Amino acid sequence: MDFLLQGFQALTWQQVVMWVIGGLLIYLAIKKDMEPALLLPMGFGAILVNLPLSPVIGDPANGEHLGIITSLFKVGIEASEAMPLLLFIGIGCMIDFGPLLTNPKLFILGGAAQLGIFVTIILAAMIGFPLNDAASIGIIGAADGPTAILVAIQLASKYVGPIMVVAYSYMALVPIVQPAVIKMCTTKKERMIRMKYNAKQIPQLMRILFPIIVTVVSGLIAPDSLSLVGMLMFGNLLRECGVLKSLSETAQTTFSNIITLLLGITIAFQMQADQFIKIETLIIMLLGLFAFVFDTIGGVMCAKLINLFSKEKINPMLGAAGISAFPMASRVVAKMGTKEDPSNHLLMHAVGANVSGQIASAIVGGLIIGILGPFCGL
Amino acid sequence: MLNFLMAAFDNLTPMNWDVIKPALNFLWQGLLAIFVVIGLIIIVVKLSAFAITKSAEAKAKREAAANEQENTDNNP
Repeated sequence: MDFLLQGFQALTWQQVVMWVIGGLLIYLAIKKDMEPALLLPMGFGAILVNLPLSPVIGDPANGEHLGIITSLFKVGIEASEAMPLLLFIGIGCMIDFGPLLTNPKLFILGGAAQLGIFVTIILAAMIGFPLNDAASIGIIGAADGPTAILVAIQLASKYVGPIMVVAYSYMALVPIVQPAVIKMCTTKKERMIRMKYNAKQIPQLMRILFPIIVTVVSGLIAPDSLSLVGMLMFGNLLRECGVLKSLSETAQTTFSNIITLLLGITIAFQMQADQFIKIETLIIMLLGLFAFVFDTIGGVMCAKLINLFSKEKINPMLGAAGISAFPMASRVVAKMGTKEDPSNHLLMHAVGANVSGQIASAIVGGLIIGILGPFCGL
Repeated sequence: MLNFLMAAFDNLTPMNWDVIKPALNFLWQGLLAIFVVIGLIIIVVKLSAFAITKSAEAKAKREAAANEQENTDNNP
């Protein structure tokens, strides 16, 4: 009768903890509607890979049959980072850069809102993480799941699993984290600053040139960002060219859905108890929060700095929208704006800052790989 | 359980200046690089927008002049 008890005998307390974490992710996805497209597959995957003797994570290197999750992970993420990169095509297709092109100055806020990444790298290094892990933890501040996955995999971090979970679950916490930080850094008067929105028509030629310009400039200065920026901008070119409507629609819907579905369950490969249940995971969670807070502070302070030299004042809350969490960050800022003054509509400005954050985070991801690669022996 | 907690601290080496120093360098290198990229993108976008607007204006002027010429030819 031993064969009936094999599973129970092989069960460890760490695996049970992972079931609870998986259950929590599923709860957050269904009940709290927090990034359900990713948290639900990740939650189920966390349970799936932590069942004793689970064949889905079988590895031929250990004399086992190749499991489906192992196979998806090795092909789709480890070998070429294909899944997160392909997802960027869909994201690029979904983004309208019009509000940013109307006021290109907002691009600066997208850059400033990446401050948290670099500050967190320093803090993680001070705590004692090796440089590659510190950088991979810092990139949680990009508020951009695919970028976090790509950097952590390329820098060969030991903490890919916790980083992925924290990156995706914290994005859903933007509406909770950001308002408190914004209020801490701004006065009521600043939050009530009005901005004119010049809803001018952006010529189609400009919309077509924009993704090409961004790709060329990023490629020349930060070549390592090209895989991320290139895919993002390729998606946007599909959207803006005007002759590939069906491809653009497919990339925005079916294609993105397939990749998201596979990505969520594949990430679970990194959620095996022995890799995940560590004190470092808790430290990574705290550092991820720290990164989000400092991103917001960086963006808000940059907007305040611009206001010192600019005639047309920027509402400093827009700086907070410079993080990549799209469209949550812009919604949070717009909502806060109307709360302070119901006739102050900041949404389009916030969207401009938010989409700039999407580009900036991809560039920073590439920069980190480029700058840190040599230090990490890559 | 205690071993599990202690293992974490064995893996980490706090205040290791060999790691902190390069991390401090990345702060200014990374921020400088991102702002250079963004600055260049803003400049190229503004220049392109300017060129596109000017060329549209010139095209409109040419068309207006051609229409005027056509009207003059038709009604001498």
